Amino acid sequence: MKKVSLSLLPMLLILSLLIVGCSQTGNVNVEPTQPAKVQPEEESSTKHVLLSITWWGSQTRHDYTAKLLEMYSEKYPHVTFESTPSGWDGYFDKMAAQAAGNTMPDIVQMDNLYIATYTKNNAIADLYPFVSNNTLDISDVPESMVKTGEIDGKLTGAVLSVTALTVPYNPDVFAEAGVSEPTPNWTWSEFEEAMLTIKEKTGKYGYASDVLSDTNLLTYWIRQYGKSLYSTDGTQLGYEDDQIFIDYLNMLYRLTKAGAMPTADEWMQIATTGKEARPVVTGDAGAMFEWANFGVIVESVNPDIKLAIPPYADNGKKSLWIKPGMFFSIAESSPNKEEAARFISWFINDIEANKVINAERGIPVASKVKEALKPQLTKQQKAMFEYLDLAAEHAGPVSPPEPAGSAEVTKAMADQINLVLYDKKTPEEAAADFRKAANEILARNAQN
Amino acid sequence: MSKARKSNKLKPVLFHIFAISLGFFMVYPLLWTLASSFKHNSEIFINSYSLIPKKWAVAENYTTGWKGISGITFGNFLLNSFIVAAVGTVGGVLCSMLAAYAFSRIKFIGRNFWFMCVMMTLMIPNQVMIVPQYIIFKRLDLINKLQSLIVPWFFGSAFFIFLMVQFIRGIPKELDEAATIDGCGKLGIFFKVILPLLTPAIATCTIFSFYWIWQDFFQPLIFMSKPKYFTVSLALNMYLDPNSFSNYGALFAMSVVSLLPVIILFIMFQKYLVEGIATTGLKG
Amino acid sequence: MRLSGHSKKNSKENITGYILILPWLFGFLLLYLVPMFSSVYYSFTNYNLLNEPRFIGLDNYKRMFFNDPTFWKSLGVTIYYVFALVPLRLIFALFIAMLLNTKMKFMGVYRAAYYIPSIVGGSVAVSIVWRQIFGNKGVIMSLLELIGIHQEVSFIGNPSTAIWTIILLGVWQFGSSMLIFLAALKQISESLYESAMIDGANGWQKFTRITLPMLTPIIFFNLVLQTINGFRAFTESFIVTQGGPLDSTLLYVLYLYRRAFTYFDMGYSCALAWVLVGIIALLTLLIFKSQTVWVYYESKEER
Repeated sequence: MKKVSLSLLPMLLILSLLIVGCSQTGNVNVEPTQPAKVQPEEESSTKHVLLSITWWGSQTRHDYTAKLLEMYSEKYPHVTFESTPSGWDGYFDKMAAQAAGNTMPDIVQMDNLYIATYTKNNAIADLYPFVSNNTLDISDVPESMVKTGEIDGKLTGAVLSVTALTVPYNPDVFAEAGVSEPTPNWTWSEFEEAMLTIKEKTGKYGYASDVLSDTNLLTYWIRQYGKSLYSTDGTQLGYEDDQIFIDYLNMLYRLTKAGAMPTADEWMQIATTGKEARPVVTGDAGAMFEWANFGVIVESVNPDIKLAIPPYADNGKKSLWIKPGMFFSIAESSPNKEEAARFISWFINDIEANKVINAERGIPVASKVKEALKPQLTKQQKAMFEYLDLAAEHAGPVSPPEPAGSAEVTKAMADQINLVLYDKKTPEEAAADFRKAANEILARNAQN
Repeated sequence: MSKARKSNKLKPVLFHIFAISLGFFMVYPLLWTLASSFKHNSEIFINSYSLIPKKWAVAENYTTGWKGISGITFGNFLLNSFIVAAVGTVGGVLCSMLAAYAFSRIKFIGRNFWFMCVMMTLMIPNQVMIVPQYIIFKRLDLINKLQSLIVPWFFGSAFFIFLMVQFIRGIPKELDEAATIDGCGKLGIFFKVILPLLTPAIATCTIFSFYWIWQDFFQPLIFMSKPKYFTVSLALNMYLDPNSFSNYGALFAMSVVSLLPVIILFIMFQKYLVEGIATTGLKG
Repeated sequence: MRLSGHSKKNSKENITGYILILPWLFGFLLLYLVPMFSSVYYSFTNYNLLNEPRFIGLDNYKRMFFNDPTFWKSLGVTIYYVFALVPLRLIFALFIAMLLNTKMKFMGVYRAAYYIPSIVGGSVAVSIVWRQIFGNKGVIMSLLELIGIHQEVSFIGNPSTAIWTIILLGVWQFGSSMLIFLAALKQISESLYESAMIDGANGWQKFTRITLPMLTPIIFFNLVLQTINGFRAFTESFIVTQGGPLDSTLLYVLYLYRRAFTYFDMGYSCALAWVLVGIIALLTLLIFKSQTVWVYYESKEER
């Protein structure tokens, strides 16, 4: 008797779990299965399709994207969506796990940082077949932009928006220091002088920016010498002369030591807060480096930020590049690639849809869409559009997407910059060590 | 005499001064979150040292936050979290209790081996287990269901087993023996002797378990793709994208809301920590 | 386990034992067994989450020990962290638990207040507040400035002190250890204290002769668990310093996480994980063995 009751306990527990399980599936799974129940007769010309889609963003993006999906389903009733909105944190952790389990959503929002890794491991599909059969219409997208989603001859990312590096600056701080505002053709020596003067005259930072968490500024710097950070095949660094990186480190060092740029310590303090509280925005610094949508992000706090073209090297080489903002990619494991491509095509080209998006994902790539949006833009959005037109005039060829291993190379770069700024290494040593570390990382990743 | 009385009066005062100042240091981040949830989005980081908003935006923050994501309100996320945490806690604490009783009071073959396994599960970093677990759950068709978040907690966890083992080992064996003489079997001993004495430990485990499941981020992140099954921790993350405009006001407002159930549960259960069963007079 | 004459009693105990651990066993087999074996297997492959794992023998382990300074760095940081954090947190938790175990007003409020740090643990708010205190132009730096001590670099920004801000964060979150101590204090029989009173023992004697010995099983528990959790700590450095400056707060598991998910190096990450398990297991074993010397159990084990 005793034994019986004893063995009952765990049984009860398992049972209760099953009950909970059943009641759960009972009441919550009703909704998604309903549409499938309504249209089970697949005799009609178009088969019912459920497309899964995921993206990262904040509340605004989640809300209007949901609206877009509804719009699309209204237009193409045989398509319904299962969407997974996400914050930026963890977005790619989740995708990696899904890729490992072969459960990636059909359509994924993809970043320049990861597209090469996913492509090289055959996790995302080549879109060229859908371009050639006209499912994916990219005729209105400039060729150079389309190419940003191409890796090893495969188009694995359909670019949604473009952006470019810029120097957002606070005109009031420039005025306060009596420094004239940047011209589109200013040089690094003018830049440095301006930053130092701002520090001298106002005590504020000249230049307050993040130089550690990505390689964009370094990439820009290296492009001035006609080289690139990574070699075309992504297996090693793309520049041979360490002097390039040494010059860069020296400039950062000079600015930091003069107090014209935050130390790593001070920057860490600044970085905890959102972009709305960057020193440039609050009037505590003159300028910084950012992407072209910066002005839009901080518009509610400071609507007067202006965007300048980054400085030129003395050789005057056009080093700016138009960067893909984000992509839509289609999972290789997706059974609905064609329908997914059709949706992406709509997302890129449809004017009504893009009026809803309202350039929140960055500047649209299709030229007709871009024109159609112009009347409804805010002041900073207009500035962003204008800046990008200007940037195109100052831009060189597009940089290849970041190769597999670039996240680790970024860390290696940050380490070396920090070691220099903390006076633990000379720029010469740091540049050599960076080369060694980066080449090892890239070679290891190329092997896999 | 009067001197002694004076120091007796002074002692509680000193105690409370100490306790309150320590307490302020302890709750400050919570106060900060609360204050930030009252501030207008534009001043949260600019005016971040002050606990008093310059521009109040209570209603705005809480309503936009509560609105949730693409039509799913924050209430829905709260409910999901509550179901997962409640069921996971009940199952987890019960199963752990049974296992702990076995490990501490019953001599069965392989006991040490299995206890080693218990300890082992504590040592492996989750980060390398989660992908294989994800694949297993996928095979069992548990992904995208609340069960996938409950199961990992439901069958007991090492922390609670080990904790209760230690508590049970603190209970004198003489009590078991007395109960055996009274005709109790192993089960009888468990219910009549062990369980009542284990109340504080159970309360502790319940508080921990509920909170751990509630705040778990990584597991829901990997296992859950349908927003309507998202838990609170996952939902809060959806307000943030460092590269676009993030609504921090709403984020902090909902952070406050999401902390409430945990605090309420703590207040409910903490009295069991204190209600002495010790007074029932156990002899050492 | 010795086989004695009571074989019938033994078999009954066996059955009861296994029935009682059955739910846990089920969970273990479902959730841990296969993942454990597959992660061991991955540690000998070049698995990156997206590819078919290819067997590469001991390469990951060789790389770890001979060719990865970051591994050694993070291991060093973590050991330092654990050995500083665990004693501090336990002493603090026990001290506060003793204080809160007295009969005074508002005890419930204090208990709740002191547990709150453990609840707000990994939130954005904590990282911001921690920087407001220890960071550049933070509270501490301003206070030091007031009394005439000028600091070039803040505590968080200085590679040699940053780890202490993380340790302090850990000490600050002493709530869970405190609760466990509180529960354990309640388990100590009043009568022990009463008889000690009769013997004329003072407060300190009561503490060292009754409270401390009676608490040893729980001190032991907290010691083991906090050591294990210390080695597995992740959030603390993830939210406040992201491992910086100069990797001075790069906890082992943070490094392991980055290897797995940021650098797509899951095979290597699994190797890191199993080396960590080895280290923790060794330490845990040592603490378990030490039990005979200092832990007092009411119910003696007949081994």
